[in-house]
Amino acid sequence: MVSSDAQHAELGGLGALWRSQRMGSGPTAVAGAVLIILLTASPLAALVISVFTGGVKAVSILADSSILWLIARTMLLAALATLWAMILGLPPAWILTRTDLPGRRMLLAVAVLPLAIPPYIGAFTYITLLGPVGWVNGAYQAMGGSGPIVNIYGLWGGVFVLGLFTYPYILLMAGSALKGSDPALEEAARAVGLGPIDAFRRVTLPLLRPSLLAGGLLVFLYALSDFGAVSLLRVTTFTTEIFHQLNTRFDQQNAAVLSTVLILITAMVLIAQRGSLGRRSFVQRRSGVRPPTIYPLGRWKVPALCCTYIVLGGSVFLPVTLLFYQTGSTTSLLHTLITGHQFLWNSLWTATVAATAASGLGLFVAYLAQRRRGLAGVFVVSATQLGYAVPGTVLGLSLILLYNAYLPWVYGTAAMVILGYLLRFLPQAVQSSTAALVQVDSNLEEAARSLGRSIWQALREVIFPLIRPGIAGGWMLVFISSMKELAATLLLRPAGFDTLPVRIWIASIEVDYAGAAATSLILIAITALPLFLITRRDATLSRLD
Amino acid sequence: MVHIRRLMFEFRFVRLVSCWAVLFAVLPLAHEPASASAFELVVYSGRKESAIKPVVELFERETGIKVALKVGKTSGLANEILHERQRPRADIFIATEAGVCEILAKEGVLEAYASAGARAIPVEHKSARGLWTGISGRARVIIYNKNLVKSDDIPSSVLDLTDAKWKGKIAIAGTRERTTLAWLSALVGTMGEAKAKAYIDTLLENGMKVLPDNSDVWRGVGSGEFAVGLTNSPNYHLALEANLPVGVVYPDQGPREMGVLINPNAVAIVKGAKNLDQAKRFADFLLSKPAQELLVKHAFEIPLLPGIDPGPVKPLSGFKALQINQERLADLEERTLSLFPGL
Repeated sequence: MVSSDAQHAELGGLGALWRSQRMGSGPTAVAGAVLIILLTASPLAALVISVFTGGVKAVSILADSSILWLIARTMLLAALATLWAMILGLPPAWILTRTDLPGRRMLLAVAVLPLAIPPYIGAFTYITLLGPVGWVNGAYQAMGGSGPIVNIYGLWGGVFVLGLFTYPYILLMAGSALKGSDPALEEAARAVGLGPIDAFRRVTLPLLRPSLLAGGLLVFLYALSDFGAVSLLRVTTFTTEIFHQLNTRFDQQNAAVLSTVLILITAMVLIAQRGSLGRRSFVQRRSGVRPPTIYPLGRWKVPALCCTYIVLGGSVFLPVTLLFYQTGSTTSLLHTLITGHQFLWNSLWTATVAATAASGLGLFVAYLAQRRRGLAGVFVVSATQLGYAVPGTVLGLSLILLYNAYLPWVYGTAAMVILGYLLRFLPQAVQSSTAALVQVDSNLEEAARSLGRSIWQALREVIFPLIRPGIAGGWMLVFISSMKELAATLLLRPAGFDTLPVRIWIASIEVDYAGAAATSLILIAITALPLFLITRRDATLSRLD
Repeated sequence: MVHIRRLMFEFRFVRLVSCWAVLFAVLPLAHEPASASAFELVVYSGRKESAIKPVVELFERETGIKVALKVGKTSGLANEILHERQRPRADIFIATEAGVCEILAKEGVLEAYASAGARAIPVEHKSARGLWTGISGRARVIIYNKNLVKSDDIPSSVLDLTDAKWKGKIAIAGTRERTTLAWLSALVGTMGEAKAKAYIDTLLENGMKVLPDNSDVWRGVGSGEFAVGLTNSPNYHLALEANLPVGVVYPDQGPREMGVLINPNAVAIVKGAKNLDQAKRFADFLLSKPAQELLVKHAFEIPLLPGIDPGPVKPLSGFKALQINQERLADLEERTLSLFPGL
């Protein structure tokens, strides 16, 4: 009797599977996929076409030996920044999720706040501190030392700053994996006589691999496409060279060729990451798993606290304090807030619309790729991933070319700014939705479908409640990135429409540091608040579970 | 119990999210649509906001024409104008350097207009075809840190900077700053390729530091990171305003020496401008006395028109200028860039 029931369910499941395959290629899915590919791939196509129309002369820049040097340097920067972010992010991730450190939930919510600080602001504060005539060197010379002892400019400075303000990607990914992993595995390891460190190295770390790779990928790709921080820190990378070709030589051809190379590099990195994940099966988070073991710290409490506070100090407290100092007074902060409220609203509503649209599209793309492992899914996902690769300036210029020619009524409105955010940050939404969907057993959906629910009902009643935290996380990431976006916004903003990052940029070229600092504080506060709330909520919910 | 707490929490969260959503659904309605069509003149300005905004506001008050202002870097805005050429969005382009206008002129995206007010502008500071007009000027000067450079050591020529005593102490902005590029082109044009190349190579061997932009140069010299800097005259006044210990030299003033290069700021009308009449009025207005005084006073620029008070700035008549026209500089540009890859 029992076995016949099981057989029945299995048959029903098969039926649902077959139907879902048919549904996947239904008109809605096809139309959606085509729309997304058009939206995301058109700027890229414009770029590639402009390379090919240039003929042989266009690619002559590739024959230049300095291009290899440029590739090597950019890759080195990105790899070292990723390594540094892992060094900064992994210990707090473990300490804050798996130990009894006092106040760890609050600290976890604070530890993700560097995401709210744009690296160009971080770079700026560290130049004030560690520049050749920064405070540290000033103090050193006042004490009788000769010459500067630290110099933030150059490759190492770039690595330092980029890692410092992107480590929360590692922290978030590793932290949620640590929270979700099955404690039975570690207990088994301890039972066969492994010490806590060996257990971590041989059991926990391998389990963390997918999330470390995902977090590392975000940092790596961020470093690859960053312009603001590296140009402030005087590091020559692909993006600064593209900027140079565009803005000094007015050579759109060379810029297009360099951008295409950058896109190819990014595509290879993405393929490598997928390959490395593909060989292993995912660890599924099932309901009913016990919460992970919390280790008592004992005499390690003080070192763990120090370690956490050093990371938080360098990435949150120090920059924010410095910005307060540069702002001068609360009145000037208020003054900036009142005179600049229009820019604040501009940033907020464009970022909100972009984040919402990206979450919707991201869920669609992730669902399509997850449930329909066909070529279509691969195409759509790849098309959306390109946002990682195209530097903001290049994306902005391609969009101008395309939309001014074909959709002139969209061009010159704030919709262009939203579109810029959407294209640049859609990958983050896709990534979050995919990560959430992977953890939902597709049998659940099949079961709902076999019980007579339509595909939409199954989505709404079964899948969506399970993946909601993932969607919210993706929304947050896109919102935060959009709030910080500068390069594409500079080009795509309609005349008379400035956002907060644009105002920071304008204040800094006007050498109005107090204004720049005040606007930065407003931006950081507005971005940090929802980030803080959602991290806290996440922590509270998992405690309730 | 847990269940109830969770429900309460969910309820609070949902309420928070819906407030957020409602707020943003309403907000865009509360503000005017930010479309440029609501404006009667669109100005892309490479000049700083603090320098151009008072002028724009005065224009709006006097004419009643509503202006949409987009402030950016000159080169970035020029790229935008090039990309928008099929359907131009800007009516007016204000550049911090005339070479960019020459590039745009070569690309055919500028409209010729000879304002009556431009007649008194010296010929080397306006386009021969009327495609752009200088509105103020900047001199290419040497600034130095008064605490680091003794008065006997102050250089009088840019050529002095090859001396070993300046080793590692000189700052210049790279060719990313178009005023540097213009200066290099001027050197190539007056000294000849070989001499100019030898001079710059000696400077680089002497440890001249190439920085991303001019504000790095004057701040670096002001803070003592560098002893001397090659930059533009307004930056000297900006450094003074920031209470930094800097001095200035207008170099190469001897009878056989080349003089100081002047980079004009320029205004141009974009070809195909939707608001051509207003654009012409704006160009006229920029050359009028009240606008000129605002432009010069707020940014320490050198007036190019007679009868405008230069304030603390050295006027055109106060120093020997290097004679070279912008078209020639623009022609030399490509060659200059290939001669000095390190800049």
